Amino acid sequence: MEDFEGKRILVIQTHGVETPTRTYSPLFYAMAAAAMEMDVMVWFTMNGTNQLKKGEAEKVKLDPNSDVTLRTMLEQAREAGVKLRVCQQSMALWNITKQDLIDGVEILGATSIIDLALNSDHVMYF
Amino acid sequence: MMSDREEIRGCVILKSLYYVVEDHTWITVNEDGSVTVGMTDVAQNMAGPILHAKAKKPGSVREKGKPLATIESSKWVGPLKSPVSGEIAEINERVVQDAQLINRSPYKDGWILKLKPTKLNEELQLLLTGDAAVQAYREKIEKEDLKTCEHVEGFEP
Repeated sequence: MEDFEGKRILVIQTHGVETPTRTYSPLFYAMAAAAMEMDVMVWFTMNGTNQLKKGEAEKVKLDPNSDVTLRTMLEQAREAGVKLRVCQQSMALWNITKQDLIDGVEILGATSIIDLALNSDHVMYF
Repeated sequence: MMSDREEIRGCVILKSLYYVVEDHTWITVNEDGSVTVGMTDVAQNMAGPILHAKAKKPGSVREKGKPLATIESSKWVGPLKSPVSGEIAEINERVVQDAQLINRSPYKDGWILKLKPTKLNEELQLLLTGDAAVQAYREKIEKEDLKTCEHVEGFEP
């Protein structure tokens, strides 16, 4: 395997709890990149924002026989070193306040995301 | 006679190996001075059927705790952290071809790679073996309430 240590990956997630099958994979890719020692950030915007509201991600489960929920995936990603960031403007769309967010999520504005995109080695958009 | 293996919730721990319990890794020191690195039975059980084990290239020099490989199952992906510092000397081609060998034989045929260790004397003391390893693993399994190990057909401890 090539050594990609230190490469910067930005994952943009625009899908939320209403489309469960579109929620797991971006986090899975982010965790893979983190395991490969890359600097990984997931940026939640548009509908993607709603999974970060406390109590929401727990309701999303792809495999009914598994204990793993979307909340588990978010937690695993964070523990793997993936940075979780949310779009400030899209929080208003869902009436989400800072207090409503699950732990470990930082709020960034639109200017920051452009800056991050330009300074990443690769952007994955979902 | 003392047993050379212990089972905790069905998960096999071999007392002859050296473990980093926190990272679910083991090593054994070979006669030529190299060390063989693998994942524990607990780890293979948590991951489920493993799809890929992608190691860094031979010649890569890794410090203790840094990833040696990426392990990927259908429900989990994460690093295999280096139990000791060293240079990757050999990758198990059988595991590259059939990663579920890790599920079937985590301590024997499913070894992942070999390292030429650079600080073995000092770092080996940081790893756990024998009854100390079993006790540490027992505490971890109970504290984190890890699930009972299920073994695929053909499993060999």
